Amino acid sequence: MGFFEAHVLQNDEVSAGYALLSLGGCDALSGARPGQFAMLRGEWDRDPVLPRAYSILGATEGRARFLVKQVGRGSRLLASAAAGVRVTVLGPLGNGFPSASPGAGPDLLVAGGCGLPPLHLAAIRATEGDTPGAVELLLGARCAAELPHPLLEELGERDVAVSLATEDGSDGEQGLVTDLLERRLAAGAAGRVLACGPTGMLRAVREVTRRHRVPCLLSLEAEMACGLGACLGCAVEGRDRKYVHVCSDGPVFDAEEVWP
Amino acid sequence: MTDVGPRMEVRALGLDFANPVLCASGTFGYGREFDGLCDISRLGGLVTKGVSLEPRAGNPPPRICETASGMLNSIGLENVGLRAFVRDKLPFLRDCGTRVLVNFFGETLDEYVRCAAGLSGQRGVDALEANISCPNVEAGGIEFGVDPQMAGRLVERVCGATDLPVVVKLTPNVTDAVPIARACVEAGAAGLSLINTLKGLAVDARTGMPRLARRFGGLSGPAIKPVALRLVYQVAQARLGVPILGIGGIMTGEDAAEFLVAGATLVQVGTASFTRPDAATRVADQLKRFCQEHHPRLDDVGQLVGTLR
Repeated sequence: MGFFEAHVLQNDEVSAGYALLSLGGCDALSGARPGQFAMLRGEWDRDPVLPRAYSILGATEGRARFLVKQVGRGSRLLASAAAGVRVTVLGPLGNGFPSASPGAGPDLLVAGGCGLPPLHLAAIRATEGDTPGAVELLLGARCAAELPHPLLEELGERDVAVSLATEDGSDGEQGLVTDLLERRLAAGAAGRVLACGPTGMLRAVREVTRRHRVPCLLSLEAEMACGLGACLGCAVEGRDRKYVHVCSDGPVFDAEEVWP
Repeated sequence: MTDVGPRMEVRALGLDFANPVLCASGTFGYGREFDGLCDISRLGGLVTKGVSLEPRAGNPPPRICETASGMLNSIGLENVGLRAFVRDKLPFLRDCGTRVLVNFFGETLDEYVRCAAGLSGQRGVDALEANISCPNVEAGGIEFGVDPQMAGRLVERVCGATDLPVVVKLTPNVTDAVPIARACVEAGAAGLSLINTLKGLAVDARTGMPRLARRFGGLSGPAIKPVALRLVYQVAQARLGVPILGIGGIMTGEDAAEFLVAGATLVQVGTASFTRPDAATRVADQLKRFCQEHHPRLDDVGQLVGTLR
């Protein structure tokens, strides 16, 4: 883990409101596990003052990628940063998804909206290595225009089976990604469910996996200032009503460890 | 490399500081979180996350939100408590190569006194910083730091319980900070840190919800620098005879120089450490360069202190 200066290589709008940000000079991120994140901040003097936490979409040969959803001033600035703009990076941070125990059956990956990056990386990693297995990813979005097609194409090239759900039915099945998950688990077992997305979706994913008695790991997001466990701003209530911290205890938690 | 520029060492609180730049409480954890990211041995010093007698769980989330040129926080003073601090956090601080001020607080006079006493005599603690912006549960929840009498009585009791120099961190959320500062010094404070965060509110007008679960939070960051400079200057003008530790939105060496000119002997870098973990050492380096460039005749950085015309 380190703090270093990177620079924008490329910044493309990949779907409505989403930019695919590529940074050069990120060799320190190449070993990142799916689910680990980095704090990014451009060279914007004093405002916005805080960096932003982004899940690492992968890093090879010093080039790291992030999916930036434009929600406020900080993310808009990052999404519109031109090639060459300097960005400070703190990372890789957090725990990431733990490896599956051998013989546990394949992971089922579930993503909602901007929650795709850790699962995209998990899918890519699963197709590599000595024993590449079949990988399945369920992705939900509000509408077809929000789907990041370049990332989906990369998954297709690796023969990752992707099922889509959109709330308005403009692509894939009409409905929620948890509807897909419900049907998928009813049809057959999975080793674990790994999920990332909005909090409401993650709670629903937990309900479905509980019903089907499948172990579930969730990658959470929270407002965060330091990323290091120092400011204690990113607290989430844990199972025993004690607070856990998304940056230093997570961002990946066993679904039964959070939200009493 | 020949060493040019002013002497950066500062003598204050009966201690030698390598330079006037410290890390502020609550923004630098217990130091170890920044190990390898910030060269702690090059800091003037660091002020720990606030410690209380017993561990505290802190406030429900959301606890932070960003605002224009700053942020609001209501962490709720979450901390590991005195015993775990001494056992688990202090060993790293003992050998970290910089001055360590331990920030502490309580909800009653007795808690403050017992916490101060428990920190005294601990190797690795160079000074204490009392956070007096806490509600006094024995006085209906009014903050200790908003009333000169209450603040004075607290500081007197704390100073009586320890041989360490006690710095008092003052709240800006008062009409006039000078009488409170004076009461603290008369009660034995060895120094004054100012300012703590400004009380604020952020609203989500779309949902009608406050952005923080506990509604109000403390504003920090560059947004508060002019308020902090004004208070540092006002308290410095009262010539109370103790050093001032200036805090509030310092991001650069020039910001630090402004605080020295206004009357601070030392400064603390807070929110900027979130912007980049090495912010405080950068501020120290920049301060030296700033002096070389703009005050080339300066022998000693201390000569800048209180020079506002």
